Amino acid sequence: MKPEIRKKAVRGLAAVMIMTVAAVGFAGCGSGSASSGSSGSSGGNADVVIAGSTSVQPLSEALAKTYMKDHSGVDIEVQGGGSGQAVKSLKSNIATIGALSRDLDDSEKSSVSKTYTIAKDGVAVIVNSNVNVDDLTLAQLQKIYTGKITNWSKVGGDDAKIAVVSREEGSGTREAFTTKTGVLANDKDNTTKDAIVQSSTGAVNKTVKSTPNSIGYVSLASVSSDVKTVKVEGVSPSESTVLDGTYKIQRPFLYAVTDKANSATRAFIKYVMSDAGQKQVKKNGFIPVNKTEQ
Amino acid sequence: MNTREKAIEKLIFICAAVSVAAVALITIFIFAQGMPAIQRVGLFRFVFGTTWSPTNGSYGILPLIAGSMAVTLGALVIGIPTGLGCAVFLSEVVTKRQAGFFRSAIELLAGIPSVVYGFFGLAIIVPLVRGLAGAVAPDAGATGLSVLSGAIILAIMILPTIVSISVNSIESVPNAYREASYALGADRRETVTKVILPAARSGIFSSIILGMGRAIGETMAVLLITGNVAVVPHSIFAPTATMTGTIAMEMSYAAPDHQQALFAIGIVLFVIIVILNGFAQVVMRRFGGAAA
Amino acid sequence: MENKFTVRGLNLYYGDFQALKNINIDIPEHKVTALIGPSGCGKSTFLRTLDRMQDTVEGARVEGQILFDGEDIYRRDCDVIKLRKKVGMVFQSPNPFPKSIYENIVYGPRVHGITEKKKLDEIVERTLKEVALWDETKDRLNDSALGMSGGQQQRLCIARCLAVEPEVILMDEPTSALDPVATAKIEGLMHELSKKYTIVIVTHNMQQAGRISDQTAFFLLGELLEVNPTDKIFSDPDNIKTEEYISGRFG
Repeated sequence: MKPEIRKKAVRGLAAVMIMTVAAVGFAGCGSGSASSGSSGSSGGNADVVIAGSTSVQPLSEALAKTYMKDHSGVDIEVQGGGSGQAVKSLKSNIATIGALSRDLDDSEKSSVSKTYTIAKDGVAVIVNSNVNVDDLTLAQLQKIYTGKITNWSKVGGDDAKIAVVSREEGSGTREAFTTKTGVLANDKDNTTKDAIVQSSTGAVNKTVKSTPNSIGYVSLASVSSDVKTVKVEGVSPSESTVLDGTYKIQRPFLYAVTDKANSATRAFIKYVMSDAGQKQVKKNGFIPVNKTEQ
Repeated sequence: MNTREKAIEKLIFICAAVSVAAVALITIFIFAQGMPAIQRVGLFRFVFGTTWSPTNGSYGILPLIAGSMAVTLGALVIGIPTGLGCAVFLSEVVTKRQAGFFRSAIELLAGIPSVVYGFFGLAIIVPLVRGLAGAVAPDAGATGLSVLSGAIILAIMILPTIVSISVNSIESVPNAYREASYALGADRRETVTKVILPAARSGIFSSIILGMGRAIGETMAVLLITGNVAVVPHSIFAPTATMTGTIAMEMSYAAPDHQQALFAIGIVLFVIIVILNGFAQVVMRRFGGAAA
Repeated sequence: MENKFTVRGLNLYYGDFQALKNINIDIPEHKVTALIGPSGCGKSTFLRTLDRMQDTVEGARVEGQILFDGEDIYRRDCDVIKLRKKVGMVFQSPNPFPKSIYENIVYGPRVHGITEKKKLDEIVERTLKEVALWDETKDRLNDSALGMSGGQQQRLCIARCLAVEPEVILMDEPTSALDPVATAKIEGLMHELSKKYTIVIVTHNMQQAGRISDQTAFFLLGELLEVNPTDKIFSDPDNIKTEEYISGRFG
C-alpha cells in the first residue's frame, strides 16, 4: 500500500474504533438512571434475591449462608442499595425480598403484601471518656446535633465545645438516629453542617474514642468496650430495653414481600423467623424478636 | 515492509488505541451520568452553591472544591521544599551507597496503600494536630480532623514522586556544569542553588505536577482524616471535605439523583485537573525553553 | 622571574592506585607551560591538583607540596575559594552554563561578591573583548550561551574564567573538541593572554605545544620524565623516552 493511503487507513481505523467504543458506552449509560449501588439485576437466576438496606445486608448474608449450607439446592443472593431501594426492587421483580432498616412509608405499603420484623437494632450514643455527662434527653440530642447546643456545660458537663460526629448521608444508622431524635423533621435532615462525618461505624468509634469532648452514634451491635455510652431519657441501651421499647433510639429490620413470593422465598423467611434463624440474628449482634408479622 | 512487521505495527496500534478509547470512554461516561444533575441544579448554583446536603435537595459544591484545593495546596507547600531538600541531599551530599539506602526507604513509602496512610493519619497525625491547635487556638475546639492533617499526609504520599523524579533530574545535570562552577570559586551551596537546580528545573517541575495530580485525586486517606465537613474551611485547623472523599463516601448509598450529582462532582474534578495540567504545560514550556 | 607554582614531591592516589609519582616542577609566571604525554599519563590529573579540583573526586589523596606564590595550597587552612579565584580552569569540552551569555560571565564575579550592575556590565564587555567575542555577541548578550558554535562557546568559557581576574589559567586540552579554524583563533588568544596571565596547558597535540609554549613537561605513566624549554624538548630532548614520543614511536 502506498504510504499516504496507509496513513489514511490507519487514521480511519482509529476513528472507527473510538467511535464504536464511545457509542457503546453512550448506549449503555444514556438512559440516565444509574444502577444504584448494586450491580446488575439478576432476578431470573437466583431463587431468592434480597435487596435493600445495607444495614440489614450483613445479617441477610449471614442468614443466607447458614441456610444454604443445609439447603444446597437453593441459591440466595443478597444485594444492598439502601432501604429506599427495597420496595422499588420488589416492584420491578429484581428482588423477591425487600430489606429495610426502617418502617415502610405510606407510598410503599400499597406495593407490599406482608412485612416481617426479623430483628431489632438499637443505636447507642457514645461519648469520649472525658465527657462528664451520663444521660441525655432526646430533645438535648436533637439540639446538639442540629447545632443549637454547642457546649457541654449546657447539658450538665464541663465548659467545652462539643465535637459532633455523624455518619454520612444515606446511612441507615444515621436515618434511625435522626428520625428518633427529631433531627430529621419534615423530610429535612437538620444535622449541623459542622458535624464531623465518618463513613463507617468503626471510624465513628475510633474518632469518638480519641477525640476529647466528642459525641457520636453507632449501631448497638458495634459498641466497643472502650467507649462510654450514655443513657437516653434515663434508659441504658441494651437488648432488653430495645425489645420492651424503653430505649427510644432503635430501628426494625424488616423483610417485605409481595404476594408473588415464590416457595423458596417463603421457606427462607420461615427459617429466619424460626429459633434457628433468630439464633443467627443474636450471633450477629442484633436483637432477636419473637414471631411478629404485620 | 514485510507482512510480519505490518502485523506487529497493527497490533501495537491497537494497544495504543485501547488506551485512548479507555480515556474517551471514561470521560464520556462521567459526562453522560453527571450532566443531567448539572442541568437540573444549574451550573452556577452547582459549582458556586455553598450547601451540600443531598438528602435535603441541596447540591452546591463550593465547599468541596475549596476543601480539595486547600489540602492539595497545603500538601504542595509542605511537600515541595521537603522533597527538593531531600532530592538535593540524596544527589549532592551523600555518597551513592548511602543514597541508595534512603532512596529505598522513600520508595517504600510509595508502596503503602492509601487506606493505611489514612489510619496512620488518624492514629498519629490527627492527635498531634489537635494538640497543636489546642496550643495555638484553644477556644476553637479543634478535633485534629482538619485541612492540616490532610495536607501533612498528602505531602508524605507525594514525597516519593517528587524525590525520585527530582533526583533523576539533578543527577542528569552534566558534571561539566558542576566542574565549571567549582573552578570559578563557587562553593557547593552556590553551585546547587545557582547552577544545578536551575538546570534541572524542568524535571523538578514535572515531578511537582505529578505530585499535585496525585494529591488532588487522593481519596481514602483524606476521607479518614479531614472530617468530611462540607463547609469552606476557615483555618488550617478546621475540618473540610474533598470532592474525591465525598464521592467515595456517598456513592454506595446514593439515590439516583444523588448519584448523578456525585458524577457531576466527577465532571468538575476532571475539568479542574485538565485546567491545572494545561496551565502546568504552559508554564513548563515558558520555563523550560528560555535560559535562566 | 618568579615561579607561580613550585611543586615538590607530589604524589596522588586514587584509593590504592597511584596516579602521580614524585612530581617536581616549577611553573614560571607570565609564561606558557605545556604538559604533554600519551593518554593516561597523568598530565590532566596533575593539572587538576593545581587548583585542587581533585578534591571533588571521591577517594583522591594527595601527598607532597604545591606552593602557589610561596604558600602550600594543601595546607589545612588554605582557602580553596580564594585559590580558585586566582587559578582558573578551562575544560576540554566547552561547558557554558545553560544560561544567557551575560549570565555566564557574571556568574563568577557574583559569587565573589560583585553585584553592582555597572561593574558587571563592564566586566562582561572587557572579557568578551579580550577573547575577541564582543563584536559577535554585544547585541545578543541575553541569548542562550548554548546557541553558539563550539569555538565561540570555548572562548566564552575563557571569558568567563577571565571575569574573576585570575592570575593563572589552567587549560585542559582546550581545543581538542574544536575545528582547525576555531583552534587557530584560540591559539592566537593564548599568546595574547600569556602577556597578562600564567598559562598551563595540557595538550595531546604536540605541534600545538611546539607552537605556543615556552616550556614543556613530558609525562609518562604518572611520572614527570622531563621538563625543559620547548625548543630544547623538540630539538634535543634529554630523555630517550621524550625523543621517542615526540617522533611518534609511541603515543
